[in-house]
Amino acid sequence: MTGLALPAIVLMVVVNAYPVVFAGIQAVHDGDLLGLGNFVGFANFQDALTDPLFWRSARFTVIFSLCGVFGSWMIGFALALMLKPSFPGKNLFKILLLLPWIVPIVVSSMSWNWLTATPGSLLPTLAADLGFGRVMFLADPTMAMITVCIFKIWISYPFMMMMMSAALEGIEPNVNEAARVDGANARQRLRYIVLPMTARSTYISWILMAMFSVNDFATIFLLTGGGPVNSTTSLIVLAYRSVFQDFRPGFGVAISFLMTAALVTMSVILLRQMRKANMQ
Amino acid sequence: MDDTIASRLKMTRRSFLGTSAAAAATVALGQNAAFAAEEIKFWDMVWGTGASYTAAARELVGSYQPAGDNLGVRYQSIPWANWYQTFTSAAASRTTPAVSSGAAFLPFYFIEKGVIAPADDLIASIDKAGTNDFLPGVLDAMKTDLGYAAMPWSMDLRVIWVRKSLLEKAGVEAPTDWQSFIKVGEALKKIDVVGLGLAGGSTTTDGQHTVSALLINNGGGLFAKDGTLDCVNDRNIETLDFLNELVRKGIIDPYAASYTSDNVTRDWLSGRIGMGFGQTGLDKNFPAEQQPDLAVISPIKSPRGDTGTVYYINPLMMFKTTASQASSEAFLGWYLDNMKIFWEKGVAIDVPVRKSIADLPILKQNANLQKSIAEWQPIGKTIGAQAPHPFGALNAVDGGGAGAAFIQQIIEGKTGSKQILETLQAALEKIVK
Repeated sequence: MTGLALPAIVLMVVVNAYPVVFAGIQAVHDGDLLGLGNFVGFANFQDALTDPLFWRSARFTVIFSLCGVFGSWMIGFALALMLKPSFPGKNLFKILLLLPWIVPIVVSSMSWNWLTATPGSLLPTLAADLGFGRVMFLADPTMAMITVCIFKIWISYPFMMMMMSAALEGIEPNVNEAARVDGANARQRLRYIVLPMTARSTYISWILMAMFSVNDFATIFLLTGGGPVNSTTSLIVLAYRSVFQDFRPGFGVAISFLMTAALVTMSVILLRQMRKANMQ
Repeated sequence: MDDTIASRLKMTRRSFLGTSAAAAATVALGQNAAFAAEEIKFWDMVWGTGASYTAAARELVGSYQPAGDNLGVRYQSIPWANWYQTFTSAAASRTTPAVSSGAAFLPFYFIEKGVIAPADDLIASIDKAGTNDFLPGVLDAMKTDLGYAAMPWSMDLRVIWVRKSLLEKAGVEAPTDWQSFIKVGEALKKIDVVGLGLAGGSTTTDGQHTVSALLINNGGGLFAKDGTLDCVNDRNIETLDFLNELVRKGIIDPYAASYTSDNVTRDWLSGRIGMGFGQTGLDKNFPAEQQPDLAVISPIKSPRGDTGTVYYINPLMMFKTTASQASSEAFLGWYLDNMKIFWEKGVAIDVPVRKSIADLPILKQNANLQKSIAEWQPIGKTIGAQAPHPFGALNAVDGGGAGAAFIQQIIEGKTGSKQILETLQAALEKIVK
């Protein structure tokens, strides 16, 4: 049996392990895209951890991921609750709500650029008409961070809505009904019935969305490219730029390994929480 | 399932290994076959007007008839998206073509890595044939300690464009120096027009080109004459002070910090920008009836009396992976001699680098192009200024993260000139070794 499985094992190792091992080798060398260069030990990791831009990017990654996870979860969950009862046109409404998830990110980011980039774009014009003055949605570092986070929530909430809709379907209607008969109001039913009974799906969706957000290159890069002045540079954007724009693959790969370590740690914590929720 | 069919579909270890070996052999044979091909490959980036340029280039290459034992040429268009990955992965896997066009500093990186052959022999043969009519300084800009990195074929030259009607509306003449540039900018600002249009977003190098042009205009640059990094010098500080004044006076649009190339093009088209650096073919973006409204002005003088701008020489390089170096050189020589058709057809928008092409009647009629060639080309330098010649690391300087943050800090207008340059120097020290 082991012999029969050998070709498959070899294939798996070649396909999966080789890139990781090669990346590991690159991370301890100072080469470029054409050659490995010299062995530098953990210097790339040390450079990353002592680089202020790395920590700035890490901070934005955390903000972006928190917004991505909880912002989209709150909106997605609220919409899932609203869409639970039947009403005419429900399916059409659901499809419309899914559009941000369905539309290719290149198209979405172009649309958001048209909406926000120039003084004559729709949102800056609207903001000026409403008396907010000159709002630079992408050119001001703080506003750019906010805009990118809102964009992330906008493209992610349909995923959360689908996840939470499925979880809500799993709650027996009679449980809610019994609570209602016992005098529980809507808030109490949400707090003591709906949230605990959807906790497993919630944790899974958080873990998935956290991974999507930390590794989300396209959303940020297509809208701001990580600017202005690195304000929206996340770790994945920094890793990309280090490898493909600054031609420092060792440094970029080292950043990716540090990101992976952080993601694994976060996933373990959330999985423990999920197990705890299961036990309860 | 039928037993016979099932037995046919069953994969045994032996059959799997056999199939794998056959596949490997096919790949190996395929590679050998590629080396023994009767054609060499020519990769060409999407230049000029895009699809129509590519069609013209494909047609031109298709008409090539190799002489003697030389091999024929197969044309392949290469998109600009991820161009660096395309070339470096091909170089790493030794699947580069025989001849290729490419980004300005790519040959300097590849010649340092021993991936391409120097063009010295081809230049010597052009000299011998008496057809060396390259514009002043162009060939010298390709020279390295290892030989000529590539053959130049056109030049992305940055010149100052103005919209005549907007200047007229603002009641001003075209600027001649930095002081008058500020005055014109202020007048344009009064009619709600941007005086120095640029795109400073992180996904474009437009803003970096504008600032590089002004640094060179003031006799500065990012490098010293010995090739070492030298961002923080008096001339560069003066240039950033000038830019800071433009920001403070609203002559540079603060929105430009996130502008893409598309954003700035739309602003030119809509009449929101009245002045700015651009490629020599900027007017081609406009509808025919608006094109006469655009004019290239003479180079402006910095307070020290210097003039200058930035240029990018578009190269044609010869890879060592060619099946025949003689065939590569024969084709490249022929291609350079016959490419005037790109300008005749109007599909090339950059400046030609050979006098015989610059003197074509169709180009002689283009006053803006003639002004660019006569007044701007001779004062141009690469972003490697003031280093003696370009080098591979300029690929990372041009379009890297450090450059984008540098431009955005300038447009933000909150940081002192010296500090901005110190930040740039520190960032570039990590990538220029």
